[in-house]
Amino acid sequence: MKISTKDLWAGGILMLLAFIGLYINGGLLGFGLEQHTLGSARRMGPGYMPMLVFWLQFGLGAMVFILALTNGPDPLEPWTKLDLTTLAISVAVGIIIWRVMEGMGVTTNYVQVGIACFVALLVLSISPAWRPLGLVLASFAIFALLLEPLGLMLSITALCVISALADREHNPISIVGMSVFLCILCWFVFIYELDIRVPLWPTIFG
Amino acid sequence: MELFANLAHGFGVALSLDNLLFALLGALIGTAIGVLPGIGPVATISLLLPITFGQPATTAIIMLAGIYYGAQYGGSTTAILLNLPGEVSSVVTALDGYKMARNGRAGAALTIAALGSFFAGSVATLVVAASGPMLTSVALSFGPADYFSLMLLGLIISAVLAQGSVLKAIAMVVLGVALGLVGTDVQTGQQRFTFGVPELSDGLGFVSIAMGIFGLGEIILNLERPEARQVMSGKVGSLMLTREEFRRSVPAVLRGTAIGSVLGILPGGGASLSAFGSYMLERKISKYGSTLGTGAIEGVAGPESANNAAAQTSFIPLLTLGIPANAVMALMVGALIIQGIQPGPRMVEAQPDLFWGLICSMWVGNLMLLVINLPMIGMWVKLLQVPYKYLYPAILVFCAIGVYSLNNSVFDVYQTLFFGILGYIFSKLQMPAAPLLIGFVLGPMMEEHLRRAMLLSRGDVGVFVERPISATLLALAAIVLAAMALPALRSGKDKALAE
Repeated sequence: MKISTKDLWAGGILMLLAFIGLYINGGLLGFGLEQHTLGSARRMGPGYMPMLVFWLQFGLGAMVFILALTNGPDPLEPWTKLDLTTLAISVAVGIIIWRVMEGMGVTTNYVQVGIACFVALLVLSISPAWRPLGLVLASFAIFALLLEPLGLMLSITALCVISALADREHNPISIVGMSVFLCILCWFVFIYELDIRVPLWPTIFG
Repeated sequence: MELFANLAHGFGVALSLDNLLFALLGALIGTAIGVLPGIGPVATISLLLPITFGQPATTAIIMLAGIYYGAQYGGSTTAILLNLPGEVSSVVTALDGYKMARNGRAGAALTIAALGSFFAGSVATLVVAASGPMLTSVALSFGPADYFSLMLLGLIISAVLAQGSVLKAIAMVVLGVALGLVGTDVQTGQQRFTFGVPELSDGLGFVSIAMGIFGLGEIILNLERPEARQVMSGKVGSLMLTREEFRRSVPAVLRGTAIGSVLGILPGGGASLSAFGSYMLERKISKYGSTLGTGAIEGVAGPESANNAAAQTSFIPLLTLGIPANAVMALMVGALIIQGIQPGPRMVEAQPDLFWGLICSMWVGNLMLLVINLPMIGMWVKLLQVPYKYLYPAILVFCAIGVYSLNNSVFDVYQTLFFGILGYIFSKLQMPAAPLLIGFVLGPMMEEHLRRAMLLSRGDVGVFVERPISATLLALAAIVLAAMALPALRSGKDKALAE
């Protein structure tokens, strides 16, 4: 068999997303949550177009999936055991943090999402193969987390430091230099020129 | 002549100090990102969208357009000097351009690329000016059913012309349409797929999707495969063309301009497809076709003219029908809607400043690019020496602040992060992301037209085949799809896109 693993996954993901959509929307042959009114072809309700779109997507996903069985071989890059383990732990850690914080009611400004993402992505970047993905996205999460409480300058610095770790060529001096440069540049462009409304320095103390 | 009166009006708009300045800024930024590999016009324009909010609509669009066609110029510079195409559209330029550089004719290659682009850009500007109002008058007779069919045709063509499997591209279009469903239903006010999140009631963020998939995704992929950067070795040499080179280039430029102008209009076409198309044509038609690939000047002149012509004419569907031809145009729709302008056939009448000003600014911008690129080539080569390790954190910071400042909300930053993950998965599974973006933009419009058409026809699906315009468009869509099922054509397309 010449299986295209990439297409197998692609088709699977498309079908899964379509199934979830149908499950929430309605139009899944009487199953599901049926949150939206379907209406009729003449007077379409909010759920009619989603129903059409998701069934179409499901069908296309199925075609991709079936054709994948013969149009390969097109394998994914192999995953090591470390890759798999970190991915599993990372997802688990993320979900636990998110659920616990939500349970405790700490949800101001999506802080629960931010912390869950940040920690999960750091865990993910333990594995070398996931490092660019994990650290680049983690730097984005820490920026969002710190921006409103600690201000623009510190969040830019945090973003620089974390994202710089994704590339082995950086050393401490280059990171510091780059952070300072970007802080000044962003102050000039976004605060001085464009005047966006964002705290510049920590607001907790002032 | 009405056309000339309109063009004069347009030049009045384009030559105002503000608009000149922002056209120059756009052209400069465009050249810069064109030169730098790893960041393309889609990511840059989505990055700069938030900044354009404060400007008048015309100025904003003029600047964003400048970035797009500026990138076509810049992309060719690195392709010729370093064999490193800054943009997909200059991949073919690298084939002969780099060979020319190694033969000591780098200067000549750069000159013909810039001159060819300028000529093509000027012709394409005229094409846009002439065909715009004509198409608009046709478009005004369109009913909801016709619009629906037109968008369907657009989506199908854009999927068919995307790189890789047509089936996956169509599936991605549909996924994009599905993402466009999120938010408040316009007709009933019901919340769809918002999961109780108030920020989602306006729908998913267009900028977040574009920036996440194209910006973040691209950075991650670049970091995963650290390529050794080549250092420019040879000298640029004389910029002057020899008489022989000039004589050989003229027909190639003319052919490239023609093919680019036509292919640019097609949805999903745009710059890269035209460059490939022109290269194939030169190989077949040109007297020196057999020498292509060994440093023939036709291989630079043709594709470079074609990609610039296409960058220009791909504005036609947007300006006349309100339908984006490619991902960059989808961003333009976003920019217009944010400014409160609904792109469509009424734009020519309602926004003459925008329409004619933009067209004329394209020509002005092309002239600026000629100056920016030829005498100042050394400066752009210097830019290449900025290592990627400094570049990507800067892009990340700009992304993050840009997304946040859209609504002053960290939710948008997390949203972008989510689409960054999604974009990473897409690229690993070779699912093309550009069709998704076009689907996302067109989806809500299609739903509206579909519902209106069905209401008018009392639920009779026949309306789509009974109206002649709609029927023709649907037939075209069917033909396009059927043609792609033919194995001969499919392999031809793969060949054209894969080289």
